Amino acid sequence: MAKGPLVLPVFLVLAAAAMAVMLLVALSTRLSPLPYSQVQPNGYKLRRWWFVILSVGLVAIFAVTLPWFPYPPLRAAAHAAKNDTLYVKITAQQYGFTMPSVLPLDRRIVFEVTSLDVNHGFGIYDPRGQIVAQVQAMPDYVNHLPVTFTRAGRYTVRCLEYCGIGHASMQGGFDVR
Amino acid sequence: MTSARRVLWIYLLTGIAVFTLMMLLGIAMRAEQARWVAFGPQIFYAMLTLHGGGMITSVALCGMGGLWYLMRREGELSARAALAAYALVVLGVVAVLLSVFPGGFAAGWTFLYPLPFVGATWASWATGTFLIGIMLVSLGWTAWCFQILAFTLTRYGGWGGASGWNLVFKRDAEPHAVPPPQSIAAFVVAVDGILTGMAGMTIGTALIAHWLSPSVLIDPLWAKNVTFFFGHAFANLTIYMALGWVYVGMARYTGREYHTTKILAIAWWATLIFVAVAYFHHLYMDFVQYRPLQYVGEIASYLSAIPATAVSVWGSMLLVYRSRMRWTLGSIFLFTGLIGWVVGGIGALLDASIPLNFDLHNTLWVPAHFHTYLLGGVFLFALGLIYMQLEERSGRCSPPLLRWVVGLTTFGGMAVFLLGFYVAGANGVPRRYALEPSPGPLTASWATVGALLLLLGLLVVLIEAIRLARLPAENPA
Repeated sequence: MAKGPLVLPVFLVLAAAAMAVMLLVALSTRLSPLPYSQVQPNGYKLRRWWFVILSVGLVAIFAVTLPWFPYPPLRAAAHAAKNDTLYVKITAQQYGFTMPSVLPLDRRIVFEVTSLDVNHGFGIYDPRGQIVAQVQAMPDYVNHLPVTFTRAGRYTVRCLEYCGIGHASMQGGFDVR
Repeated sequence: MTSARRVLWIYLLTGIAVFTLMMLLGIAMRAEQARWVAFGPQIFYAMLTLHGGGMITSVALCGMGGLWYLMRREGELSARAALAAYALVVLGVVAVLLSVFPGGFAAGWTFLYPLPFVGATWASWATGTFLIGIMLVSLGWTAWCFQILAFTLTRYGGWGGASGWNLVFKRDAEPHAVPPPQSIAAFVVAVDGILTGMAGMTIGTALIAHWLSPSVLIDPLWAKNVTFFFGHAFANLTIYMALGWVYVGMARYTGREYHTTKILAIAWWATLIFVAVAYFHHLYMDFVQYRPLQYVGEIASYLSAIPATAVSVWGSMLLVYRSRMRWTLGSIFLFTGLIGWVVGGIGALLDASIPLNFDLHNTLWVPAHFHTYLLGGVFLFALGLIYMQLEERSGRCSPPLLRWVVGLTTFGGMAVFLLGFYVAGANGVPRRYALEPSPGPLTASWATVGALLLLLGLLVVLIEAIRLARLPAENPA
């Protein structure tokens, strides 16, 4: 599922909250001033809470989101165990991709992505134009990208690593059905 | 004998001049993406290359000048050494400039191996000149870091004193031997900066060796790691350098004192580590990278928010809260710079989450967040420092109406400019595209309008700065 569009409202809410708090602090200078010795103890107490909430919260987010990390299983045997997996070779080269024109719906695909020249990006956009998966295409290395397409239609592939002056024109596509 | 203030202004004015030039290039690129003008990809990517490298170097120059000046107020520091470092950086900038115009070098500031050498549309000499330029900037930067490190070690009684270790672990640490907050910042920046500079010289040397002898091959994954360590940490340190004078400035404007505490020292040690290892987030989409490093990248990126918000931002907010804050352009820039840093940090944290990075990596979300904390953070901190100096020297500040005009144009234009990046990035528009897919051209149009408004605001800021500078000095150097 494309997560990009969900990120924007989350960002805007968090950014607005942070700005609101900081602007309130700025506006507090219109009130009668307090001695710093009076401000510090409460400020430090609050800070302790902020430290705990932020530390625990961030570590919890890392742990809870681990299952959504896009990486393939570390052991090759785990790949092989999925005997219905389709392995698809993708080769990037200035300024195009070599890849199949049709791919299956609802089947686990592992893209084996490499490059014949410079670093490229292999970015897959769904029929609505949202990124659904990406990986780097590197010379001398093969990156394995597991994807299962659950929506039929025309997918566009765009290069997502700057690769030279033809970078913006480097795209391709395939049908999923 | 060069005065300390002269050194400060040499660095600051050069930084601001380079920044202005790079900003004009940035507006030209956004106008091209909006399809208002058409330079063509060769010129566009040459401008992109220069803009990326030039911008970071410009804010680094401001940071180096500012932090050097603060250290100079703590004790003896050679102006000649500072100017030698400055000369190396400027020579590097000139070399990079020549490699791009007229050389046509367009491999991006990242110059990811083997791009500079494969499918190049520019002359070989341009590649060599660019790499030599990067080496010179790294050399100048490293020399500056060594000077600052040597100073803090000498001034505060060695590693234990300069790092705050004695304060944290030794009960008998003498109060006069405890470095002020800006000196702890300088120590951490210098240590990380030396590592960064060495990385820059390492990748520069490797690529120059390949340039001279193409039979010398480099591992692309190794090259990517070293390049991003260099680039990420160097860019990050520009913020941490600026915090030095944010501490000083906020204390001055609020009339309160900002001391080094045990918490502050520990926070800076954490920052030292996070700056060095967070760069792994640039390689999230390189699935062949050793997996634990990806986790380290996410955790370090997340945790870097703790010292930033719980110590530097929190401390500054406590200074301001119900204080007798003097709201001048100087203090407004410092305060809004903190807002820009926090907001950009939120965008960065989202992007540093691996499941989200899968959708955002190398989209316009990336320039969205780093423009927020470089333009809306470090650059505003630099303006804050400039105005702090001008206000202090003249004993005057700008009239309220002018502050409103600057606020509306500068911050309003900046918000519109940045939103263009965020909206496009969330919708998957790739970064570094001369011609963007939809909705790129539309968001680039808003962004260009916002950038022009920002430019107008900065013109007012410049005119007002000149006016203040021409007033008779009430507090001469």
